[in-house]
Amino acid sequence: MSGGIPHAEALAAWRARTPAQPQALALPVPELLKRFHPDRQPGSMVPLRVGASAGLPCRAELATLLQSDSLVEDVDIAAAPMLDADVLVIGGGGAGCVAALTAARAGARVILATKLRLGDSNTVMAEGGIQAAVGAEDSLQRHFEDTLRAGHFTANKELVAALVSDGPAVIRWLIQEGMSFDLAEGSERIGGNLLRKKPGGATAARLLSYRDFTGLEMMRALREAVLLQPGITLLDRHPSLELLTDDRGRCAGAALHDLSLGRTVLARAGATVLATGGAGRLHIAGFPTSNHYGATADGLVLAYRLGAALREVDSFQYHPTGIAWPPHMEGQLVSEAARASGAALVNGLGERFVDELETRDVVASAILREMAEGRGVARGNSLGVFLDTPGLEREKPGILGKSLVTLTHLAHRAGFDAAAEPFLICPTLHYQNGGVAIDPDGWSGVPGLLCAGEVTGGLHGRNRMMGNALLELVAFGRRAGRSAAANARAERPRNIGLTHLADWRRALIAQGLPLTSKAPVIFPPYGNFDMATQRGRAA
Amino acid sequence: MKILIDERRCVGADLPAWMALGGGTGLERALADPAGIIPAIEAAGLRGLGGAGFPTHRKWAAVAAQPGPGKWVVCNGNEDEPGTFKDRFLLSRTPHQVIEGALVAALAVKAANIVLYINPREAAAVRVLREAVTQWEAHRLFARLATAIGEELHLLVVTGSGLYIGGEETAAVASVMGGFPFPTLKPPFPAETGVNGAPTLVNNVETLAHAGQILGHGPEWYRSLGLGGAPGTKLFSLSGDVLRPGLHELPMGTSLRSLVFEHGGGMLAGKAFKAVFTGGPSNTLLTAADLDVPLDFDSLRARGSRLGTGAMIVVGEGTSILRKTAEYVTFFANNSCGQCPPCKIGTHQVSRILERIEAGAGRPDDLRALENLTELLPGSGRCGLVDGAATVLASSLKTFRAEYEQALRPGEKR
Repeated sequence: MSGGIPHAEALAAWRARTPAQPQALALPVPELLKRFHPDRQPGSMVPLRVGASAGLPCRAELATLLQSDSLVEDVDIAAAPMLDADVLVIGGGGAGCVAALTAARAGARVILATKLRLGDSNTVMAEGGIQAAVGAEDSLQRHFEDTLRAGHFTANKELVAALVSDGPAVIRWLIQEGMSFDLAEGSERIGGNLLRKKPGGATAARLLSYRDFTGLEMMRALREAVLLQPGITLLDRHPSLELLTDDRGRCAGAALHDLSLGRTVLARAGATVLATGGAGRLHIAGFPTSNHYGATADGLVLAYRLGAALREVDSFQYHPTGIAWPPHMEGQLVSEAARASGAALVNGLGERFVDELETRDVVASAILREMAEGRGVARGNSLGVFLDTPGLEREKPGILGKSLVTLTHLAHRAGFDAAAEPFLICPTLHYQNGGVAIDPDGWSGVPGLLCAGEVTGGLHGRNRMMGNALLELVAFGRRAGRSAAANARAERPRNIGLTHLADWRRALIAQGLPLTSKAPVIFPPYGNFDMATQRGRAA
Repeated sequence: MKILIDERRCVGADLPAWMALGGGTGLERALADPAGIIPAIEAAGLRGLGGAGFPTHRKWAAVAAQPGPGKWVVCNGNEDEPGTFKDRFLLSRTPHQVIEGALVAALAVKAANIVLYINPREAAAVRVLREAVTQWEAHRLFARLATAIGEELHLLVVTGSGLYIGGEETAAVASVMGGFPFPTLKPPFPAETGVNGAPTLVNNVETLAHAGQILGHGPEWYRSLGLGGAPGTKLFSLSGDVLRPGLHELPMGTSLRSLVFEHGGGMLAGKAFKAVFTGGPSNTLLTAADLDVPLDFDSLRARGSRLGTGAMIVVGEGTSILRKTAEYVTFFANNSCGQCPPCKIGTHQVSRILERIEAGAGRPDDLRALENLTELLPGSGRCGLVDGAATVLASSLKTFRAEYEQALRPGEKR
C-alpha cells in the first residue's frame, strides 16, 4: 500500500472540517468493487482440482488446505477409546450450542466437542445485532429481498426463505432462553417493545440488539442452557482431526484429539453436526482478522474430504471497521452499530468518501481505495481511515457511554478517549460468505453429516448483511439439531474407520498434488502450539 | 494377458455379439467330442477358483460317474467376502462366457439342470443374466446340447439368500433347494448327494468361465498363459493401500510384488508395505518376506497360506492390522450360521475381545485368551468358516503381536 497522510496532519484536517457534511455520495459501485475488493484481485483464486466441487474457484490459501492430506491414519485410531452418542456436534459457538440443545431436547444423547472452550467463538464477537422481521411495517418478504439483494442475488432462495421465516420464532426462542434485548424508548422493562435499528442495506428497521454486545449476551444465555441441559456431554479442548465413515460410506462421527490427555478419542454418532465456524485465522490476502483464535476452516476441510460440496469459497467478507492502530489490537472489530448510529468515515483530508450505510463490501472497498490512493491516515506502520466517533457523540450526546459500551471500552484499552479522538480503522477479515452447501434441514449431501452456521454456504450469497449471521446460527442450528436427532437412531454406524482417506489420497495423487500438506490447521501457526508432537501416534 | 475381462469381451447380455467374438466355439468343440471334455480340463490343470483350488476335472469326473438322469450343475456366484469382487464383474459384464462354461460342464457330467446361483444383492448381475439366459434358450447350440445330454434342459437363474455362508458348496445346495443356507457335513459331497439328493456339480463362476475358454482354445494354450508351471490366468481383486485398486487379470503365478507394485501402481502415497490379507480374508497373512512368492495355489500353500478367491487386501504402514483383523473376524462372527456352537460362540467371543482391545481397554489376559481360541476353534464347525476366522486371527496375532501389545490398556503393556 502506498503511504498515507501522517496522523497529526490528518487530525488537523479532520478538526478543520468538523462537523462532517451530510452529503450524498454517488460511488461507481461495480467499478469500485472490481478494483478494490480483495476477492477480485487477479491471482487470488484458483479452481479446486479434486473433490465434490472440483472446478469451483476458491481462495488460493484455502484451496491448499482443502486439497491436503489427513492428520491421522488408521493406526492412529487403533486402541482409541470410543465414545458413543446419537448426535455429535462439533463446535462450541452459537450454532453448535443451539444444535446440541435442540437435539438433546428432542431426546438424543449428544456429545458437544469444541476445540477451545464452550463459547470461545465468533458468536461472542457479534456486536451489531440480529435481524428478524418483527416490525409492524416490516415483512418476511422484505427481509427476504434485502438479504438476496445484499448477496448480489447469488444466495440459495430456499435457504434464505427458511432463514427469514424462522426469524420471529428465533427471537421468541432466544427470549425464552433468557437472552436480553434492548427495548424501545419509553418501554417498560416488562412487556415493552423491542428496539429496532436499520441495518446497512435494509429497507426496514429490523436489527434487534443488546447494547453493542448482542452476540456475547446470546452466548451467555446459550452457554447456561447447554450446561444445564441433561443429555449433553461437553468435551472442551477436543479439536476434531478427521470425520469417521462407516461401512456404507456414511459419516459416523469424528476422531477427536483430547488436548488435556494428549490422546485421540473416537466419538461415534448416528448423525454429526459440523458447526465449526469460519476461516479468519487463515489471514486470507494478508488481512488482519476479527475472528477468534480457532477460526481456521477446519469444518470446510473435513466436510470436503468426506465428499460434501462447497459453494462461494471465493467470497469473504471484510468488515469495514477493524482497528488499524494500535498494532497489538489490529483487526479487532469496531461495531457496525457506530456507523448504524451515524458515525462518519473520514479520510486523511478530512472528507467523507462513502455512504456509511452501504453494504459492507462497498464500504470496505471504498476504504481500501482511499488507502491505496494515498488519502489514508498513516500512524506508525499502520494505515487506515478515521471513524468519527467524536462527531457521533456530538450529534447524540451520551451514546458512547450508554449504548456503544464495547466501543468505548476498546478505545480505553487502546489508550485514547473515543469521544475526543476518532478511531483509526481499516477493513478486517470478518466472515466466510460461502461454505458447505446444505439443504434447508441442514444436510450436507453426505449421509449422516449436517452443517450449521458460518461453515455453511448459500445463505448469504456473495455478501452477508449485518445481523443475518446471528439469525442464521440460531435458525439453522435449530434445523440441524432437529434433523440430526430425528435421523440419528435410524441405524447405528458399524465398522467405523477412515475408509474415505484412501480414495481421497488417490484423487490427490492423480492430480499431482503433494501429500505433504496436512490439514485441518486446528491452531494458527503463531500460537506456538505443536500439534505435530501431540497428535495421534505420539500420544 | 486378459482372457476373461478383456474390454472387447464385455458385451453384456448380447448373445449374437458374443458369438461374433468367437463365443460358442468351446461348446461346439465340446459337443463334437463330449468324452474329451474332462481329459481336456485335466490337461489344462484347471482348479477351483472360488478359493479351494481343488482340481476341477476330479470333481467333474466324480459327478459324471454318478448315474443319471436328473443331475445338477450349480454355478456358484454367491460372492460376499470382504475384498472380493470378481464374480459380479464376470456375471454382469460378460455373462455368456460363464453360461457357456456352465453348459460345457453340464455336457461333461450329463446334467440337464443348470442353476446360476447368484447373490441377490448384485441386482445388475441378476438382471443381465436373466436376459442372457433367455437368449441362450433360443439358440441352436442349446437344442443340440439337450439332444447330446438326452434330457430336456433347464437353465435357471436362482437368487440365494445373499448371506456369506451361502457361498459354501453344501450351503449353496441347500439354498438352491429353497432352504436356509446351512452347510452340511462332508461326506457326502454334493457330487454324490446334492440338489434334491441328486448328484450335483458346484463350481465357482470364474472356474466355469475358464472351462469354456479351455475347450475353445485347447489345454496347451491355457497352460501357456501361466507362469512357472502354474496354468492359466487368475482374477485378482486388489484393494487396500495401493494406488490402483481394482480387478486385475494376471497369469497364475504372478508374483505378489508384480501385482502390488507393477499392476497396482505401488503403495498408496509411497507408504511401506506391511502385509496382505488374502481372500477371504480367512488365510495366513502374506508379509514383506512373501513379496516374491508366485501367486498360485501350490506356492502359497507351501508358504503356509492360501490363494483363496484371489482377493488381495494390501495393508501399508499407517493402516492398523489390529483394526483390519477385528473387522474381518467380526464379519465372520456376524455371518456364522449358528449351527455349530463352537463357531457361533467362538467367533463372537473373538470378535468381542478384539473390539475391547481395539477400543484401548485390552489386557494381557485378552491376548492369552485369543491365543487359546486360535488353538481351540479350528475344525470345530461343519464348514470352514470358523477355521478361516481362527487362521486370520492366529496369523495376525503371530506376525503383528507388537500392534496388539501396543494397543493394550496403558499401564498393562508388557
